[in-house]
This record gives sequence, C-alpha cells and structure tokens, in this order.
Amino acid sequence: MSEPILKVSELYYSYGNGNPALDGVSVNIFKGEKIAVIGSNGSGKSTFFLNANGVLKADHGEISYQGTIINKKNINDLRKNIGIVFQDADNQIIASTVMAEVGFGPMNLKLPREEVISRVDEALTYMNILDFKDRPPHYLSGGEKKRVTIADIIAMKSEVIIFDEPTAALDPLNAQMLEEVLLKLGEEGKTMLISTHDVDFAYRWAERAIVFDRGRIIADGTPLEIFKNARILEQANLKRPAMLDVYEMLVENKMIKDESNYPTTPQALKVLLQKNIR
Amino acid sequence: MEKSLDKWISVVKTGEKPEHETMHHQKRHHHQIGHKHGEGSAIDFYAYASKIRQWNPTFKVVFSFTTLLLCIGLNNPFVSLAVIASMAYLTVLKGGLPLGAYISVLMIPITFILLGTIAIGVDFSSQPIGQFNLFLGFGYLFTSVAKLQEMAFLMLKVFGAISAMIMMTLSTPSSEIIGVLRKAHVPKLIIELMNLIYRYIFILLDVFNNMRNSADSRQGYSDFKTACYTFGSVASNMLVVSLKKANAYYTAMEARGYDGDLVFLEEEKKLQVSHLIIGAAFMIFLILLGIFTH
Repeated sequence: MSEPILKVSELYYSYGNGNPALDGVSVNIFKGEKIAVIGSNGSGKSTFFLNANGVLKADHGEISYQGTIINKKNINDLRKNIGIVFQDADNQIIASTVMAEVGFGPMNLKLPREEVISRVDEALTYMNILDFKDRPPHYLSGGEKKRVTIADIIAMKSEVIIFDEPTAALDPLNAQMLEEVLLKLGEEGKTMLISTHDVDFAYRWAERAIVFDRGRIIADGTPLEIFKNARILEQANLKRPAMLDVYEMLVENKMIKDESNYPTTPQALKVLLQKNIR
Repeated sequence: MEKSLDKWISVVKTGEKPEHETMHHQKRHHHQIGHKHGEGSAIDFYAYASKIRQWNPTFKVVFSFTTLLLCIGLNNPFVSLAVIASMAYLTVLKGGLPLGAYISVLMIPITFILLGTIAIGVDFSSQPIGQFNLFLGFGYLFTSVAKLQEMAFLMLKVFGAISAMIMMTLSTPSSEIIGVLRKAHVPKLIIELMNLIYRYIFILLDVFNNMRNSADSRQGYSDFKTACYTFGSVASNMLVVSLKKANAYYTAMEARGYDGDLVFLEEEKKLQVSHLIIGAAFMIFLILLGIFTH
C-alpha cells in the first residue's frame, strides 16, 4: 500500500484535569479515504481531531503528514492541509461578513489578494451561497451558517477535511444538502474524516470506520465489519444501523438469498428485493 | 445577483414591520426588556438593506464627516437646514429607508438635543428680568427672542451634524466603517478589537436571550426579588460562557492558520467619479451658502 497521507503514532494527550483524553492512538489515513469516526461523547474524537490539525500539542507521540514528521516549524503545513469544520458554526465564524469569513483562512496562508478573492468566489459557488457574499453571519440561518463554515475549509484547499459532528443541529433538508456536498467532495478525491453519532449515516457513507472509546481506538475496519461485531458495539455503546437489521431479518426469514451484498440505502434494498421476488 | 439582492431587500422590508410592532409593543409593556432586535441592531439591519450600500465606504465616511465639520464650522442656520434636508434625501430617497424608520432612528438624538438646548434658551433667576418671564412661586424662568433664536439655531446645527453621521451609519455596515478606519491608520489593536466586538455583540445577545428565555420559562422573573436573583445568575453564567466561547474561538482560529494577525478580506467598492464631483459640489454649495447668508 502507498504512503499514508496522515500517520499518527502513539498519541497521548491529557487536558488539565489529568485524565487522558487520548491514550495511545495510532492510525494511518490514506489519500481519498472516507472515514467515519464513531464513539460516545467524551471518547476522544474531538481531541483527536484537534491534535491531527495541530491546534493541540500531544504529550507524547508523533504525527507525520505525507511522510514529514510535524514539529513546531512546519505546523502551519499541517493546519493548511488539514481543515476542520467545527460542530457549532457560531464557534467558527469569526468575521462580520461571509466574504471576510471565507477569506480568513486564505488570508492567513498569506496568499495574494487576487488569489484570495478567486478562492472565496469558488468556495461560495461550490456551496451555492454566492448570494450571501456581503451578508453578516448574524442574519444567516443555521443551515446557511453550516454552509459558510464548509466554504471556509474549501477555500483553504485542504487535502484532508475533518467534520466534527456535521449533522448535529441540521434539519433533514440541510442534512441532505450536506450529504450531497460530502459525495461531491469525495468524487474529487478529498480525504474526509467525519465524527458522527448517526450510525445509519456512517453505514451508508463511510468506507472505513474508526471506533473510539475512552481515548483509545478499539476498532478500525469497514463499517460492515464493525457493525456486525456485537462486542465492539456494546463496548462503545453503539446502535446497529437499521438497514443492517432489516437485511439480516430478511435473510433470516428466507425472504432474500444471502449473497453478502449488504444494502446501505432503502433504494439499494428495493433493487435487491425486486431481484429476489422476481 | 441583482435579483437575489432585490429579494434580500424585500425580505428586509417585510422584516421591518414586525420589528416596529415589537418596538411599540416594548413601549407599552415596560417590564419586557431586551428584545432580540433592539434599536442598535435595527440600525445594523438598515445599513445592510440600504440601496446606497454599494457606494464606496471611504467616500461615504469622508463625505459625512466633512459635512459634519462644515455644518459646525460655518455655524449658519441655512447651512444646517440644507444639511438636514440633503441627508434625509440621501438616506430616505436614495437609500430607500422608510421615512418612519428614519424618524424613529432620529428620535433618540432629538430627545437629547431638546433637553440640552432648552437649558441654553431658558434661564432661571430670582428677579423678573428678560423679555419674557414665568413666575414659578420661588423664582422666574426667563428668556428673550435673541436667546430663543440662538437656541433654535443651535438645535438646527446639532441636528444637521447628527443627521450627517446617521446618514453614514444607516448606509454603511460596521465592517466597512472599520475598514475605512484601518485605511486611516487607526492602530491595529483597536481595529481588531472593533471587528471582534462587532461580531460578538450578536452572539452575546443570542446567548443572553437563550438564557433569559430558559430562566423565564422556569418562573425566574416571577417577582422583583426573583428577577434580581435571576439577573445576577444569568450575568455570572454569561461570564463563564464567554470565557469558554473565547477558548473555542481561539481554537477555531488557530485551526485555520491564525498566527497573531487578524486580517480580513474586504470588498473593494469602486469610487464613482460622479459621486466625487457631486460630493465636492455639495461642499462648495454649503460653503457659498454659508458665506452669502452670513
């Protein structure tokens, strides 16, 4: 296998209170992977993300980006190439117009003004919010703010994009919009890590799932492997995706043949049912 | 783009009405304090909806500031009247702000102007002196035509100066005014603080409203004593939340490569030559008017 884009080895981190938030995390992330990071609240997902982006400095362990070990000098490379879309949009938006907000990252990269403007326009067009350009963030709705925060990261042209619980606090329509954006970004070969509590979403979207529990990675594999493993689900307090349950029930009751072709969406299940009933 | 802008403005226009209703509503019920859209954010709202927002902000700031200086410096009631009329024209007709909204914004300074100038026009004495006097039982309020005239002229002058400043605030969003100050080489620290404060006022208001509503829903404002206690709790809680938020913001800023310099992208709005010519002509007109009616 090729060189991982992001290599994290033996990462330890603890906040002031002494309890380890990360307790020896090692993981290799390859270019173009779509990874769901799952685990209960306080299991270390967000801490891991902030370490991966270089905002928090690990107590032990090292991170290398494209083969280069990150130290104090090249930490800006890490921040430039790994973007985080934070959970609460209001905690991320800093500027007083959408344009200034999306331009904040590129301005910090010290790009020439023309380049910043073209990147801002591109990112706003990408997220379909070009009309909001000179609006202040306090007159935007929750879904619109979320789009602005994603445009923030798109404008930085990060190779790896981390989404911290992006579907939290979004209505179904905006969640749908978000999934479309994720698919589009995936087609462009971006590496994405998404933390989520929505197992159904993780099951249908991700190619790989990493399960966190009390600061450790307790499982790393395809979503199917993980969601079929009852022991891991119990340890991390996870639910099984509905589609997996439905499929197994159908197989159990001999409604469809077991071809190990697991459907992840109702549409895929419909196709499978039609094939079997015919 | 044009169409969406129209839509935005129409949204703003429809949004205005309930805002006014809540404002009147507020006046009737004094115990309902701190509505989401107070007078301050209404001004912010109008600035974004203004049709002359697309004008170059530096021009607008310099224009209104020069007008203010001329209005005070020339000290001439005709100049003041000309300034009042032209600023109202710019804000209401050019900027598309409803007249009612403009007057309601002006009401605040008008109150102060009246209170301030009456003290100049009317004096108090124990003797019946002056052209006109009013016996109050323990002394006399007295005034004269000259004094009243002085008071009226002063009122016009202050009113003109204020309407020049209000023209600027009602047509230029704060972020653009801050951008102009940055170009005027105001210290960077102050500019950064202004940018951050402007952004966080709205977040703070939001947080405060949420806390207040949740306290209200649990009978936190049922009587005066409870209300005082709740107010204190909300205030201390807000401090804690602010500190936490400050941390979260710093994290988010660092994640996007913040390294100590807060630089924002600003939109360049081209200065139109016609504006410059009309602006200069207006200044010359004011000066000539001031000289000829001296």
